[in-house]
Amino acid sequence: MLSLESISKSFYRKVALEDVSLTLQEGEIYGLLGPNGAGKTTLIRIINQIVQPDRGIVRFKGDLLQGKHLAHIGYLPEERGLYRTMTVYDHAMFLGRLRGMSKSDVETNLNYWLERFSIGDWKKKRIEELSKGMAQKVQFICTVLHQPELLILDEPFSGFDPVNVELIQQELIEMRAKGKTILLSSHNMKSVEEICDRVALIHQSHKILEGRVSAIREERRNGTFAVRFSGSMIAFVTALWTGFELIDKEILSDNRFVAYVKMRGDNDFQDLLQVLIGQVQIEAAWEVLPGMQEIFLDLVRG
Amino acid sequence: MREFTERARSRSFLAMAVIGPLLVLGITYLLFALGGQNKAHWHVLITDPQGIMEQKIMAQEDAAVSYDFANAYIEVADFAGNPRFQKYDAMLEVNEKVLNNKTAYLFYREKPSMQMAMRVRFQFERRLEEVLVSEFTKLSVSDFRKIKQPVNIGFRNVYDPRDEASDLSGWVGYFFGAVILLFIFLFGMTILRSIAKEKSNRIVEVLLAAVKPRQLLLGKIVGIGLSALLQFAVWTLLIALGLFVMRETLFPDLLDPANMDVVQMTQAVKSQALQDQMLSAAEYNDFVALIYERIHFGNMLIYFALFLIAGYLFYGTFFAALGAVSGSESDGQQFVIPLIFLLLFSLYAGHYALQNPTSGLTALYAYLPFTSPVVCMVKLAQGYPPGEGYLLFVSFFILLISGILVLRLAGRWYKNGILQFGHRLGLKQFIKWAKNG
Repeated sequence: MLSLESISKSFYRKVALEDVSLTLQEGEIYGLLGPNGAGKTTLIRIINQIVQPDRGIVRFKGDLLQGKHLAHIGYLPEERGLYRTMTVYDHAMFLGRLRGMSKSDVETNLNYWLERFSIGDWKKKRIEELSKGMAQKVQFICTVLHQPELLILDEPFSGFDPVNVELIQQELIEMRAKGKTILLSSHNMKSVEEICDRVALIHQSHKILEGRVSAIREERRNGTFAVRFSGSMIAFVTALWTGFELIDKEILSDNRFVAYVKMRGDNDFQDLLQVLIGQVQIEAAWEVLPGMQEIFLDLVRG
Repeated sequence: MREFTERARSRSFLAMAVIGPLLVLGITYLLFALGGQNKAHWHVLITDPQGIMEQKIMAQEDAAVSYDFANAYIEVADFAGNPRFQKYDAMLEVNEKVLNNKTAYLFYREKPSMQMAMRVRFQFERRLEEVLVSEFTKLSVSDFRKIKQPVNIGFRNVYDPRDEASDLSGWVGYFFGAVILLFIFLFGMTILRSIAKEKSNRIVEVLLAAVKPRQLLLGKIVGIGLSALLQFAVWTLLIALGLFVMRETLFPDLLDPANMDVVQMTQAVKSQALQDQMLSAAEYNDFVALIYERIHFGNMLIYFALFLIAGYLFYGTFFAALGAVSGSESDGQQFVIPLIFLLLFSLYAGHYALQNPTSGLTALYAYLPFTSPVVCMVKLAQGYPPGEGYLLFVSFFILLISGILVLRLAGRWYKNGILQFGHRLGLKQFIKWAKNG
């Protein structure tokens, strides 16, 4: 769907991107991660042709990216804005027509999305009359109104409550199922883990990581396991002795715990179970892979 | 279109579309009415105990003034306070020495307008002349009138012997030019504020993902410009309609030929001070004549519209670029000052052209895009010498092409500055962004 080949961009003497290459497939959600100032927004603006790269090529469905392709791209910037004195209807109509839609298509799609987000009654209201959450829903709707094949979302969950975050996530998953491609830039690592198929990490203008989320997490397994049990924590710890390290615990209730244990030496999961059986009542046990947040911090901090 | 429809539908636009013309018409009405201190009809009591005027003053009825005669003197205090005389607006006292000293006194309740004073003076003098002629000469009144013709020296420009242009016309051109500048300033600031607002509420990034920066810039200028033109068209229509209605209903007598014969009237008065007053009344009538008779509104309006569009395009791009490159609100306020200075200089250039229509500097100002809108309107009103009318088109095309070139430059500033925030705007930024295509 989209490929970026050796993209470099500098703003006067400051290097924003250096030799960054990415490829997005159809029907996937691709996470673009990185600390503030890494170059993510510059990369996104290059895809949207707001900024031209100094070097490198962007291809959209095999062709060099041109202005005509922008009708197939939806963009929700991090610093979103709306015309506050316009009504929801007028605003959507304006942006939809700007993207080449007919008036009737805008109306049909707008009604669909307003009902989907349960804000149908607010169609004729001015943007300034909406709450922040509703305004953000309107922004999202305006981004997807023209049914773009590629959706670029910069911090789409920012400012949403957990219910609306879930709502947006579900919409994105549905779009992926319909074959849409979504490029998602976010600091919300939980959402990234839950919905992204692949991710890339940009740091100090370079791409330092790319791959499937599950693969990245598995590559960085550190031998940590979780055990949910009922019994005495003292008995649990005693059973571990020196072969394992207790790194964290959660108290579920009286005599019910989740303990996080790291292997020491050559010990493995089977050894762990063997030492615990008979000491506590094991309910469940699983491997804990490092989260994207942990991986992100490790890589960024070096 | 969004820009145009948003403005055209706003309440403030609709209010100004109506209030503006009403204000202009109101001022015009006041100029006409106060210049005249208009009392429609005067009733004058002439006290002529000697019967010098033989109870006659006018050969024909005059709708503006009527006279009654009294054959006894009336004390001024009595005239002022006695209810019997309240129906009279003034008392003209004719004493027995009037044939020698040519002096009479008119006592008025309210100070008369220039026209009314002139009218009464003229009618009295004509009657007095008749009495003097029959008293001291053997001539008939008609023979006397033939001899006593006013000498009229007309001052004419050798290049404009038919006096189609005049100083007053030049001022009308200056007025048109000033209106162009006013429109440019008002709507230029609107462009600046609109772009700065789109920048601050961050909608511009969404727009830039759909259209090119230069398209956005041009769309903004054109949209606001169209709303300006619509307002101008509404103003022109309402003001033209208002002037027509005023002419037909409120001030029909201002264009009465009897009032226009000021030359003859002024000749009848020897006093320099009174002559000056009459000449100012003549100018007053000249102003009315200018508005209704001498200005070729059709011609002026066409060129007004052309120079308004081209001047707006030229200056508007600067305002737009300033709105885009400002890092903060104070940047915009600070850097708009040079633009305002340029507009004021343009006003000065127009005034210079008024005073020095044939100067080389005026010719230069007519070609400079910053000053040509005002100067060309002045020169158009004054009239171009024969065979040089094409210079107006030269000025217009220079202005238009300058506007297009400036648009390209402003497009770079816009593209580079619109997504920059929180910076301190300086000349270095302008130069850097102008180079970065």
